[in-house]
Amino acid sequence: MVMGSLGVWVPGLPVVSALVIFCFLRGTRLAARISVAALTITLILAVALLIRYLATGDVAIIDSQGVFGSLWLDPLSLVLWAFVSGISLIVHIYSVRYMVEEPGYARFFALLDLMTGVILVMVSAANLVTLLVAWFLVGVVLYFLLGHDHRRPAAGRYAFWTQITYRFGDLPLWFAALILVHCYHSTSLPVIFARIEEAPHMRLWGMPVPELTGFMLALAAFARSAQFPLHTWLPYTMDGPTPVSALMHAGIVNAGGFLFNRFAPLFEHAGWALHWAFGVGLMTALIGSGLMLLQNDIKRSLGYSTMGQMGFMVMECGLGAFPLAVFHLIAHGFFKASLFLGAGDVIGDARAHDGVPPDPIYTSVVERRPAKPSRLPWVVAAGLTVLVPVVVLSLSHFFVAEHLFYEQGVVVLLFFGWVTGAQALFAAHKMSHQDPWRLMLGILASFVVVVIGYTLISHYFGRLLYPDEHESLMLYRAASIHRLSFDALVMLLAAVFVGGWALTFFAESLELGAQFGGRGRGIYLGIYALLSRELYVADIYERLGQLVVQGSRRLNVWLRWC
Amino acid sequence: MDLSFWILAALFVPLFPLSWIFNRLVATLPAGSAQGLAVLVLPQLGIELLHLIPPALFYPALVRHGVMVMATASALLYAVRALSARELGVWTRLVLCSGLATVWLGWSVGAPMAVLRLMALGWGLPAAVALYLTGILVRRVGGAYVGLHGGLVAVMPRMTASLVLAVLALTVTPVFPAFFMLWKGLGSVPVAWMPFWLPLIFLWGWAAGRLFQDLLFGDYRGEPVADIGGVSAVLIGLVFVASLALSLVGSGGAL
Repeated sequence: MVMGSLGVWVPGLPVVSALVIFCFLRGTRLAARISVAALTITLILAVALLIRYLATGDVAIIDSQGVFGSLWLDPLSLVLWAFVSGISLIVHIYSVRYMVEEPGYARFFALLDLMTGVILVMVSAANLVTLLVAWFLVGVVLYFLLGHDHRRPAAGRYAFWTQITYRFGDLPLWFAALILVHCYHSTSLPVIFARIEEAPHMRLWGMPVPELTGFMLALAAFARSAQFPLHTWLPYTMDGPTPVSALMHAGIVNAGGFLFNRFAPLFEHAGWALHWAFGVGLMTALIGSGLMLLQNDIKRSLGYSTMGQMGFMVMECGLGAFPLAVFHLIAHGFFKASLFLGAGDVIGDARAHDGVPPDPIYTSVVERRPAKPSRLPWVVAAGLTVLVPVVVLSLSHFFVAEHLFYEQGVVVLLFFGWVTGAQALFAAHKMSHQDPWRLMLGILASFVVVVIGYTLISHYFGRLLYPDEHESLMLYRAASIHRLSFDALVMLLAAVFVGGWALTFFAESLELGAQFGGRGRGIYLGIYALLSRELYVADIYERLGQLVVQGSRRLNVWLRWC
Repeated sequence: MDLSFWILAALFVPLFPLSWIFNRLVATLPAGSAQGLAVLVLPQLGIELLHLIPPALFYPALVRHGVMVMATASALLYAVRALSARELGVWTRLVLCSGLATVWLGWSVGAPMAVLRLMALGWGLPAAVALYLTGILVRRVGGAYVGLHGGLVAVMPRMTASLVLAVLALTVTPVFPAFFMLWKGLGSVPVAWMPFWLPLIFLWGWAAGRLFQDLLFGDYRGEPVADIGGVSAVLIGLVFVASLALSLVGSGGAL
């Protein structure tokens, strides 16, 4: 009862604030104060409700008695309410001064409030229509936020890219919703999930319904979370105001991970959809991270970094580690919001200090330090690089949750943890330093602290989101593949990664690039051109769009515009 | 008798190729307000005619499927055509014809008359507002070709805000009535038809996005022009508030 009456106000307050600003406070600076005050109260309410849940374990549904407007206050909603309102409050406070000289100051705060309210409804929707309405509205409000500065045609163009990709992603969600209503005769999510549990093998067009809708939901999540090849909008949204970029990269783009978690009871019976998500997520993580390295614009670079992180998040869902994806999106949200909001300072610093690495001759002659980098013996470095992450990751997981250690999803995550850790140690080894042992030990100590902290937090966070451990295990099982194929895949990937490191190491020491000569350079430039044009994905979309519009124009001329 | 009712109904609740005549008829009306009134009244008249012929369930499946095919093709054709329209009046009429074709879908699956009336109203009301504003724009700027002057929002903020609301409502944006009506309509349609209907939502969104590009962004390059009055803007706002209330509080009994 208390949860219900208070819960309505969490999404309600920002919406009321937006309406008050739109109707009465346009053109005044009071709008910002009202907006920040509303968000502060929203955050306090959201945190209070989360604490209440932690104390009592009560889950509530606020039933609107209609098809639209019911809210589900389960652990996922409550955690995301606290996260979204927290990020939004930070963005609001930052915007108070940042946007003060921009036209449409009050409108901007009204739209920010509206966006926050809509996201809060989306993450707590208890039925399909409410979810669909909020999902749809996020795209619409984001369009107007990104296009806030209407004097700049580029802002409008990239806001349009975002809007059209979001609209594309809305279609599979509509389709999934209509199929679920058609097959399970309800729009209520808890009712649908209960009926899926009773009849998981119901079929439509020769396919199990959970599998079919799982594919649709995954596609909707891909568009919202900028998965390859539906990613082109994300890096270009930097033409919008910086606070909007922060809110988008910290919150809105994570909607894909939320969707997977909301429909977790369905994905327990949709193994192939999860495998697909793993493949798409992996490809996106690789492409996003690769393209990030090519950028010379800090905001664009952060955009591709988000794409890579979203790839990891979807990949985690594909492995069945659903709560880890939520933990990832929250951690990434705070981290990316701080990076975006601090981007201006970084640009300012770069103007003062160019950041060019020191010249070895200058270092040697003027600073009287050894020009040749001091490094550990390569056998020691290789041993540390390969073995330490395996030992640390395995032990920390073994002590926290031994039974999960045998699930394929956990093994793959450990594998990625190993690759990432080894990469960090390898990079540390390549750095020139006066005291290589001290550097390596420092990195190792940080690594151990991060791994143990991450393992403990993610484990207990998983228990919070999925109190029924059977559900977590079902998700891991759904994401599993045949044992032999899995072992072969892991061995192949391990060989690829170790081979890659060896190639990088020897390419430098043996100067392999010079041996290949002009042909090698040509291949290198070809790949560079391909990547710098972002694999021509945006160009292909643009050309296809032009062809459709040309066809439309011909039809109109033929039918005399009637 | 029956056939003439069918033909008139397909003219007033436009279905291709009779939609061509409907479109022409509306376009030839002299003022924006007259056009707005026409798109509100004629579809309701068409639905009354549908009321006079036997319900869809009395017809053989072949006829019902034929109507569904025609409605789907008509809606998709007009949605595609709206992509290249930059004249506000033409754009509105094309999207309206596309949206009103969904009424036939509702009819073919046996939706009650009240639902059909609300479906027609869901598209007719924002179209009427858009056509009314188009008339004003033509009088003040000399034309409603949105790419002509660019950045209209800078000089006519009230007019642009009203147009944006009308366009959003016309392109099934929640929480306007057309969204809920479409949900209700599609909910009754066999699942196999959905892959043909869902692209409509994408095409309408695309068409709206292209229109906004020209309407909202860039610098205004025309002569100074007066915006619509505050009272007009409030009245238009009240129309949308009423339609929002209709959607949210029970969607007029349709949901």
